[in-house]
Amino acid sequence: MDNEGKKILVIQTHGVETPTRTYSPLFYAMAAAAMEMEVIVWFTMNGTNQLKKGEAEKVQLDKTSNVTLKTMLQMAMDSEVDLRVCQQSLELWNMKQEDLIDGVEILGATSIIDLSLQADHVMYF
Amino acid sequence: MAHEKINGCVILKDLHYAVEDNTWVRKNDDGTVTVGMTDVAQNLAGPILHAKAKGAGTGRKKGKPIATVESGKWVGPVKSPINGEIIAVNEALASDAQLINRSPYDKGWVVKMKSEDLAADLSALVFGEDAITAYKAKIERDKIQACNHIEGSDTYA
Repeated sequence: MDNEGKKILVIQTHGVETPTRTYSPLFYAMAAAAMEMEVIVWFTMNGTNQLKKGEAEKVQLDKTSNVTLKTMLQMAMDSEVDLRVCQQSLELWNMKQEDLIDGVEILGATSIIDLSLQADHVMYF
Repeated sequence: MAHEKINGCVILKDLHYAVEDNTWVRKNDDGTVTVGMTDVAQNLAGPILHAKAKGAGTGRKKGKPIATVESGKWVGPVKSPINGEIIAVNEALASDAQLINRSPYDKGWVVKMKSEDLAADLSALVFGEDAITAYKAKIERDKIQACNHIEGSDTYA
């Protein structure tokens, strides 16, 4: 079965306070991108805080490796995964656009509804 | 086999390379080509857990994935270095994906392809001493760490 061109929406609600829940959604997103799918990772609720400048660098699951959550986010962007964040959840964390790492698009709550309906599959974490 | 080691990474001189995508192409006697990942690529990926190639009969434009490869720390595509059709996949990778790590230029080949225009495709790749020069530049520019070879890897004296 050829799944190229399908749209995957990954919703990430977990942030830096739960490191073991941060890598896998990005890894799946990269896998889908490698399979030529269109992939968006939508950060909301606690997931938003991993996009704050300086935070993702502190999350390192494997201490023997130099890979951090920041590395994972950058690898995802390099793989053409779109990273988007919920406007309303930025306010929850008292964050502004300038607090975000580069390359993340801010969208409102109506967008997540549109994206969910347009996606071929939604993965929720 | 004529080769050179750059920062411990083996580059064979009789292959055609898509240097930025870290793939190689070997011209076969029957006009087809064999495609695989370079030693640099297997080193960047780390020990490979799964390699899943597109099936025979799949048409591919240059740059589109012919396979996806995943390790514990990385997942990504193997991009087609030519325009053509996949005519065979390396079935051995299904049960032993680390063949790519141990034998990137031989037993760890990924697919065989038939090019739409082989002369044009090969002319867009780099070969021989040009490949050595290109890889030296790439390894320095991208600060690629010395190639690691897992136990049982092919040796090049």
